Amino acid sequence: MDTRDTQPEPPGQPASAITCEHVVALAGDAADDRLDVQVRERVERHLAACASCRSLVQDLRTIRQGAAALPAHGPGPKVWARIESELQARQPAPVRPPALHAPFWTGWRVGLAMAAVALMAVVATVILMRVPDGMHPSAGQAAWQPAGPAAHQLAEDTVKEVDEHLRIADANYQQAITALEKVVAAEQASLDPAVAATLQKNLGIIDKAIQESRAAIASQPNSQLAQTSLFETLKQKVSLLEDTIALINTMRKGDQAGAARIIGGLRKS
Amino acid sequence: MDGAREDRTLVARLREGDVTAFEDLYRRHSGKLFNVAFRMTGSAADAEDVLQDVFLQVHGRLDSYRGEAALGTWLYRMMVNACLDHLRSRQHRQQAATDFLADVEGFDPPAHPSWQPDRALDRMDLEAAINQLPPSYRVAFVLHDVEGHEHHEVAEMLGIATGSSKSLLHKARLRLRAILRGAPDTQGER
Repeated sequence: MDTRDTQPEPPGQPASAITCEHVVALAGDAADDRLDVQVRERVERHLAACASCRSLVQDLRTIRQGAAALPAHGPGPKVWARIESELQARQPAPVRPPALHAPFWTGWRVGLAMAAVALMAVVATVILMRVPDGMHPSAGQAAWQPAGPAAHQLAEDTVKEVDEHLRIADANYQQAITALEKVVAAEQASLDPAVAATLQKNLGIIDKAIQESRAAIASQPNSQLAQTSLFETLKQKVSLLEDTIALINTMRKGDQAGAARIIGGLRKS
Repeated sequence: MDGAREDRTLVARLREGDVTAFEDLYRRHSGKLFNVAFRMTGSAADAEDVLQDVFLQVHGRLDSYRGEAALGTWLYRMMVNACLDHLRSRQHRQQAATDFLADVEGFDPPAHPSWQPDRALDRMDLEAAINQLPPSYRVAFVLHDVEGHEHHEVAEMLGIATGSSKSLLHKARLRLRAILRGAPDTQGER
């Protein structure tokens, strides 16, 4: 872009009289090689005699070149998966006539939408379960609490209510996992055998952890630690399956770098 | 197909309800928008969050895109605004800055500058220095010097005059030099 119209005009004096102040004002254009011929000649004469201004213009040139050479970065594949999931959750899926040869993405999108809806239900349930301490009926409200059989009944009701919320959250996680597993199972053949083996190994570890958490809850139904552990492992499984779908998506698009990043993540799971 | 025509085709597909068009829009523009967000926020995680927010905003506002500005410019404008909002919010949280757009005073150069005269400029030092720029300087520098936009494009993205874009860029470069050299930015105050 031509910037001559905005370049400060050096005073109408001999070229040697151009000042450092003028050069500082023109240094950006000088670094970009955008000075018009007459001004450039005068600036260059000044630079030849002034080490300070010469250093300034050279530094600005180096900074500009360094900035242009900075490496490009890209978003991880999860970003699009999150956007797509959010959009699917916001809008009902459009009704379209069935295709004779349904594309891969049709099933993928529906599966992901189902998983997203199920996950939203999980979040809602978990939020319901997490009553802040200060709002809990037992916190600082002793005078309001019933005593005797009524208190016993209230405690029983509360336990039943929490159990019901846990059951719903568990069911919703399972629903999300089932939907995601269907998508992965349908497309797993497109994965590299070594990656598929890593995936199966990691899923096996998570499934074992889920079984252990369920066993712990069965023996100690009120253990908050066991409940937290169960939901953490369920969440891990959802995350691993989501990563796998993102990997399949990325590989189909031929994005080798993106696929390598996800595979790195899968191996750390 | 040139970039502008490709964008027009994309917009037409989006308006026709083509369900794959939005993903194509993301694939086409997310890289450059992410770069802006990354340079502005200094964090890949923050940049991904901002990018996600922007594309969700874009999806909701596609009906309001009338085509007066190029699609890319419109997207950059939304990204820049989102980044500035993010930085304002971060500044607010950190209680660091009091004057967002005129943050020129009170600059303390680093005690041990790493860029010595006659030495090559290290990329990491430059990135760290960019992160120290006030947001208004940083956005002009990132859009012009890093992303390679012309001043009239930067001005359109930021909603400012072309002269203001030049002025911000000049001050940004002087400030960067001062940061990298560890010298007070006296020239930028002139």
